[in-house]
Amino acid sequence: MSELLDQARRVAEQALSLGAQEAKVSLSSSRGVSVEWRDGEIERLQDHTDHGLSVSLFVDGRFSSHGTSDLRPDAVEAFLKDSIALTRYLEEDACRSLPDPARYEGRAEVDLELCDPSYREVSADQRRDEASSLEELIRARATEELKGKEGELTSVSCSVGDHYGRSARVHTNGFEGAREGSSFYVSAGLTLKEPNGKRPLGSAFTYRRHRADLRSLDELALEVAQDATQKLNAQKLQTGKYTVIVKAEKVGRLLGYLLAPLSGAALQQKRSLFEDKLDAQIASPLLTIRDNPHRHRGLSSALWDRDGFATAPRAIIEQGVLKTFLIDDYHAKKMSTEGSAPVWATGASLHNLEIELGELPLSGLVNEVGDGVLIDRFLGGNSNPSTGELSLGCGGRLIRGGELTEAVTEFNLSGRFDQLWSQLVMVGADPYPEGQPCPSCVFEGVQLSGV
Amino acid sequence: MSSHKQSKDQGGLSGFGREAGSLAMSGPSASGERAEGLAYFARFGVDERMLREAIACALTRGGDWADLFFEHGVSQSIALRDGAVNAASSGVSLGVGIRVVSGHQTGYAYSEDLSREAVLSAARSAALIAEGAQPSATPQSFNLTPHSARYPIEREWMSVGVDQKIPILQRLNREAFDADPRIQKVQVSMSHSDSVIFIVESSGATHFDRQPMTRMAMSVTAVQGEGDQVRRESNSANIAARAGFEFLTEDRLTSLRQKAVERTLFLFDAEIAPVTGELPVVLGAGAAAILLHEAIGHGMEADFNRKDISIYSERVNQRIAPEGVTIIDDGTRQGDRGAINVDDEGVDGQQTVLVEDGILRSYMHDRISAKHYGVAPTGNGRRESFRHAPVPRMRSTYMTAGQHDPQDIIKSVKKGVYAESFTNGQVMIGAGDFTFYIKTGYMIEDGRLTRPIKDTNIIGNGPDILERTDMVGSDFAFDHGGWVCGKDGQSVPVSLGMPTVRVAGITVGGVS
Repeated sequence: MSELLDQARRVAEQALSLGAQEAKVSLSSSRGVSVEWRDGEIERLQDHTDHGLSVSLFVDGRFSSHGTSDLRPDAVEAFLKDSIALTRYLEEDACRSLPDPARYEGRAEVDLELCDPSYREVSADQRRDEASSLEELIRARATEELKGKEGELTSVSCSVGDHYGRSARVHTNGFEGAREGSSFYVSAGLTLKEPNGKRPLGSAFTYRRHRADLRSLDELALEVAQDATQKLNAQKLQTGKYTVIVKAEKVGRLLGYLLAPLSGAALQQKRSLFEDKLDAQIASPLLTIRDNPHRHRGLSSALWDRDGFATAPRAIIEQGVLKTFLIDDYHAKKMSTEGSAPVWATGASLHNLEIELGELPLSGLVNEVGDGVLIDRFLGGNSNPSTGELSLGCGGRLIRGGELTEAVTEFNLSGRFDQLWSQLVMVGADPYPEGQPCPSCVFEGVQLSGV
Repeated sequence: MSSHKQSKDQGGLSGFGREAGSLAMSGPSASGERAEGLAYFARFGVDERMLREAIACALTRGGDWADLFFEHGVSQSIALRDGAVNAASSGVSLGVGIRVVSGHQTGYAYSEDLSREAVLSAARSAALIAEGAQPSATPQSFNLTPHSARYPIEREWMSVGVDQKIPILQRLNREAFDADPRIQKVQVSMSHSDSVIFIVESSGATHFDRQPMTRMAMSVTAVQGEGDQVRRESNSANIAARAGFEFLTEDRLTSLRQKAVERTLFLFDAEIAPVTGELPVVLGAGAAAILLHEAIGHGMEADFNRKDISIYSERVNQRIAPEGVTIIDDGTRQGDRGAINVDDEGVDGQQTVLVEDGILRSYMHDRISAKHYGVAPTGNGRRESFRHAPVPRMRSTYMTAGQHDPQDIIKSVKKGVYAESFTNGQVMIGAGDFTFYIKTGYMIEDGRLTRPIKDTNIIGNGPDILERTDMVGSDFAFDHGGWVCGKDGQSVPVSLGMPTVRVAGITVGGVS
């Protein structure tokens, strides 16, 4: 690690010696290995080593950013010279400068446990055996789940992989940081075939910093088998307004639409419908979201953000009230010059979201809803961040009498994402164990368009 | 927010690719070098001995064949925001991907270090896929295979200084603000890239190509009203091609600016489609080919069919669309974003008829699937970069013109939707369900275009929709936007085109 940091320091000094007044330098290297398995044999073995250099240059009041994977010393020098020369052609931007070094202070002194030393010990045979075992488990589970259903097992695919990376960053006004991290994943896909030729796909995955924290193969096999079989014989949905449960693993997509307009770029470019909504109600009082950058072994944990600011846990939305924007240093400076008051750079990065949970598991939510629709997948669609309008392709299951019934597909959810989040009436107690741990959410009065 | 590994068995198209990387004056065109083949990569220490050793190492454990994919790419982007061209970025990408194929199985490794040790290490990793006792034969000599030249350049990008580019962005910015007082923000970007590839097959055949790409994008934000009545809208336009600086003609620049402004202001009068359910949809000529890309294209990539996970598996030579529907995937359109002289496995870029008069005639093949099906590869083996193994991908996908007058197509609809511009789409290739998102369009009422609509998703099932494509217009048009197709965790540039068509019924995601 110190070698990488030394190299970053040298590149930063080189940038200054070649004419930059300030510079931000990042160096990284990584290695990844994976096995992709299908129907009894390896489909693909992959192995890679990466390295890269990225620089942000502040030259004569001008700014640019550049990256290269050609790290030969003479190539790096030419790269820096060319980049500085390009920057001098640009127009000045008085808001471009490195952050106040005081913002780098206060970094938490904590071991986030981002690296699992066992990554060195994983062998090719282990990955292959894991993939093979997972396929067997999936076939067994699928056979059970298919009993009494019209569908046949067509193909099973699994992937097992791991990755290790290091990075070092230096700002010429005093920031330095270096980190290393590992990640491991297992994913699975199950394709079934219906009599009409349709081939629904079920999928599941687990992704962790530490290998021992991966979910078990049994759990994955059950999840993928159920995901596939529950899509069999899907029918079209009658158009109407419904009470909708969005399944935990898909809530993140809806949350993304709500959080995107909070960025400094969206605000400064007048593309945010939440522009004047700080401390205002923007969602149901049931929605509380905090960001925790210091979660141990968190996939997105970090002690500093992209500006080098020391990170800290913070509230994003509390009981539906917007508590902070996500403003980076540059856009804070821009908005300060454009407005009548200084704008504080709150920090642009989100790390590990923590959503306040409700009390019921998914089965309890289904029971409470009585009649409605469970959405368990989105397909395409988009939103308008300036107005909140959105329209998304969906699939899922009907809820009747408090039970999940037949599969439904080929319908759209339409409306406005800000209104949708105001229609949140229940939050589940079932955070999805992968990625951002969102719980299932229940929304009332949702427009679904089918037949 | 973190996300999980992308499913291999889905595809997706977006109209907004990644912005380009950074300037590299040391790139292929800046130096004026015209070296080809091995001579080009000699500057990085690559020589014939390395090629021979790498191939031999890759085939140490046997295998049907192996290839080396060297790539040197440079890119640059400059951008205007808030009236100033004050942001630029550039990128340099250099490395080699080594592949060993044994039956259906692939061993793949890449390295960004082109030293002999690193290259041989990657070759040894790729070799692990094979389990033969005997090494496979290695070439005695290497011979450069000639290919077409489908992207001639009149004026190299690197010969045009940034000081010549800035006035263009400034002019577009000024004209946009002059167009309407409601316009508050304008962003304009100009990007280009130049990727040099050198493919070395274990047969001894080698292939060389320089692949330019340019893209220009403009987005506009407008504000209307005051106080509680204030409304904001944003929209954009972009153009792209495999071309040099000559691509930026006055007509294209004017059209780009007009589209960005008009599409934004259009949104103030538009609403999410005030209809729901299955309705006739008329797709305007050009970008509406996103329908083809999602509903059909991915499902006809041969790897999915070989694995029996596509809804089009086992359907070659069967009718899948009405008579009169012919769909082609084409790598030969000169200067087109989807054009290729040679694919990323060394197969000539070519034209492939997927559907002929309603009959499915061919999948899109890479070498692995072509061998599986006993056919010639179709030149669809593509990859994002040396960091990825190639898989079957689209190029320029289009439907040929039909017989109907496009005005008659609109007149034929009593109540439906006219779709004009789009942002993205996605497909589940096994189920066949696909979507695309209408950014601008109109209601059709009693055969006439009436209320403007926006932000409406369409969802359907590929084979069903093809069967319902019952009117094909005579007005074929190609879309020259910067479309990007994602699959298997990698992206490639593509293009699309179509005449006006009517789909008799498809689910519209409006509001009632």
